[in-house]
Amino acid sequence: MGFTTGITTNDIIFGGDKRLEDSIDYIMEHYKPEAIFVYSTCVTAMVGDDIDMTCKLGGEKHGVPVVPVHAPGFVGGKNLGSRIAGEAVLEHLIGTKEPEKMTPYDINLIGDYNVTGDMWQYLPIFEKIGIRVLSSMSGDGRVGDIRGAHRAKLNVIVCAKSLVTLTRKMEERYGIPWISVSFYGKRDTTFAIREIVTALGDPELIARAEKIIAEEETKLEAKLLPYRKLFAGKKAVLNTGGNKAWSIASGLQDLGIEVVATSIRKSTEDDIAKVRDYLGPDGVLMKAPASEQSKIIDERGAHILLAGGRSLYTAIKKQISFIDVNQEKKVSYGGYNGLLNLAEDLKYAFGNPVFANVSQKAPWEA
Amino acid sequence: MDIELSKHEHKPLQVNPIKHSQPMGAALAFMGIKNCMPLMHASQGCASYTKVFYTRHFNEPIAMYNTSVSDITAVLDGGDYSILMAIENITKKDKNLKPELIGLHTTGLTETKGDDVRSVGMHIEIPYCYVNTPDFEGGMQSGWALTVKALIDQHTEETTELKANKLVILPNVNMQPAEVEKVKAFCEGFGFETYALPDLSTSLDGYLSEGQGKLGTGAISIEDIRSLADSATMVTVGASMEIASKALLKKNPGITHLHFDHLMGLKMNDNFVAELMKIRAIEPLPQVKRWRGRLQDAMLDSHFLIGSSHFVVTGEPDMCIGMCELLQSVGGTIDAVVATNYSPVLEKIEAEHLFVGDLEDALEHFQKADLVISNFHAERLLHMQERNTGLILRGFPNYEELGNQLKNDQLYEGSTYFLFEVANALRHVKHGG
Repeated sequence: MGFTTGITTNDIIFGGDKRLEDSIDYIMEHYKPEAIFVYSTCVTAMVGDDIDMTCKLGGEKHGVPVVPVHAPGFVGGKNLGSRIAGEAVLEHLIGTKEPEKMTPYDINLIGDYNVTGDMWQYLPIFEKIGIRVLSSMSGDGRVGDIRGAHRAKLNVIVCAKSLVTLTRKMEERYGIPWISVSFYGKRDTTFAIREIVTALGDPELIARAEKIIAEEETKLEAKLLPYRKLFAGKKAVLNTGGNKAWSIASGLQDLGIEVVATSIRKSTEDDIAKVRDYLGPDGVLMKAPASEQSKIIDERGAHILLAGGRSLYTAIKKQISFIDVNQEKKVSYGGYNGLLNLAEDLKYAFGNPVFANVSQKAPWEA
Repeated sequence: MDIELSKHEHKPLQVNPIKHSQPMGAALAFMGIKNCMPLMHASQGCASYTKVFYTRHFNEPIAMYNTSVSDITAVLDGGDYSILMAIENITKKDKNLKPELIGLHTTGLTETKGDDVRSVGMHIEIPYCYVNTPDFEGGMQSGWALTVKALIDQHTEETTELKANKLVILPNVNMQPAEVEKVKAFCEGFGFETYALPDLSTSLDGYLSEGQGKLGTGAISIEDIRSLADSATMVTVGASMEIASKALLKKNPGITHLHFDHLMGLKMNDNFVAELMKIRAIEPLPQVKRWRGRLQDAMLDSHFLIGSSHFVVTGEPDMCIGMCELLQSVGGTIDAVVATNYSPVLEKIEAEHLFVGDLEDALEHFQKADLVISNFHAERLLHMQERNTGLILRGFPNYEELGNQLKNDQLYEGSTYFLFEVANALRHVKHGG
């Protein structure tokens, strides 16, 4: 569902508060949500609509939280927007309701947006171990759960630095400790599970986790065996930004593929340190991948390029395989099973003759 | 609920909107100009949304830049600083980038703060075209049309000369790259030297080439635009292009103007051919005649399925009218048309329900229809309903299918394929179980 107030010229001249008020009424009448989030945009922030007051009055009138999120496009990038939304959630939602049930193993998942169902890859494992997700912000999350998030024993940040402020403030306010993990690749998934159970501190839980990790890893290893044979000796160049620079690299290495270079554009200092750690001293960290990748493919004899669509031509010219990592993925690469999805995609990419076929010269080209 | 066709909204908000913004239409139009740098005067967020939108629809790298308005420039800058800095930064960063036109279009933000984008042009050495396209007025269709008008107003030179065999097509925003190409070739078949403004036929048409996606690759250059007014014939497709046609007539009142609300179906294309024949005094090419016969046959073949079916069409007005008239010409019943914005052309459509709205409004009509023609957002809604209603994806965006740029619904040929596609979808729904 998507709702917009559809601001028009008149609202800019006379203010859009009335329209927002009417929209809140309309939504409550027709959809009865458990909460409404109201986002300001460039225009409404610029004209200075009093969104806070409209939300407050709307909330009182209808008896549900109406949460203002002040994230107009011009204040910063996506990360800042997430941070602002996190703080709005802390101010207006968290702690407004007690959870119906509590266990000593309650955690909040923070910063996994469940893109392509990443979360669903590892939640069944949590369940087996006995880790209970009290609330998720915000992939597959429920407002009711988030309102009781203050009772969690641990906050788990998944691959998103932008919500650190939220967890830090929750630690100050409610004494909830936090850890930051990733669920890409086998090593990271195992590491993440260990971090969580260690932080929860119950020896029985830790023992159960170890048992399940061992089971899952053995199962995965058996399934990965044929792929590893297929991928032996293959080298990859990775051109993608941010945390994908190391998270996908880690997954590739788990499959036995050598990552010879990765892009560090848009990566934070932490990301870069992690990349260096994963790739070792011989790995090339590309600052300007667009101009560097072609040369590195030649020098290191790479077999596959994982990059955004713009780089497709490089792969075709070099006659190597290509995976578009920035394209909207349809399957998840997260958790243990995600690694199998990645392996499957790679198998087809390596086996596909299209890259060689399409680079054939036209009859009219000399 | 009965909603009347009106310029005024019938509710305070939009739920599952189908409307897209004016700057998005403007950006697309500029992508159809050769070596043009579409520059959105906006914060980064607005521009990256548009970029992702087109990247996914066309499956192509998208040439788009923005002036990255920040909280500080939003308050302190009158536009000059951020626009000039953006152009300098982009051209400095990539020395090979040699834009031949800067296509500056504004947004809700920069219109609200009231930047004087016209005067900034005096400080830019590269040819510059500005267009005011606030988000809070109009939509994608008007943003595109306003851009074509601005290009003509600002760059086409006045003349009284006429080149007898020169023809310019002003296509509306709904026409995909392949459709522009087909209409151009159709006119060329009558011996015209043909131009399209904008010309997406070589831009976003899914063509593999090196270094693509950094500037517009349209088949019309800024020089062509300058000398456009000596075209003896102008063809506008879509009512939204009227403002652009007036702009060109102002540059040369002698131009013969042929207007068509769309180029779908037998009648409209017969009119089109008749007009072209009048000017050139020649018969159409043999394959044109052949395609007309095929369309006649397709109409007969498909009339049974379409004639017993109910349709809902949602989208930009210029797209809706063509589809409705074609379907009605073979007996289809249009239950409802839900348009993105008001346009006078909507008054011409005959449908049980006809209004400006969103997918929430369309939903109750979906539940009674055999087939829906809409963008891909309708898909999820149709999955949720009990009735098995078919869906044909048209309009922006379509993230579900590949090859959108090559979809062709225009002329005798495209209409033929369209009827078969509709009939096959209906057969699947009605008789496929």
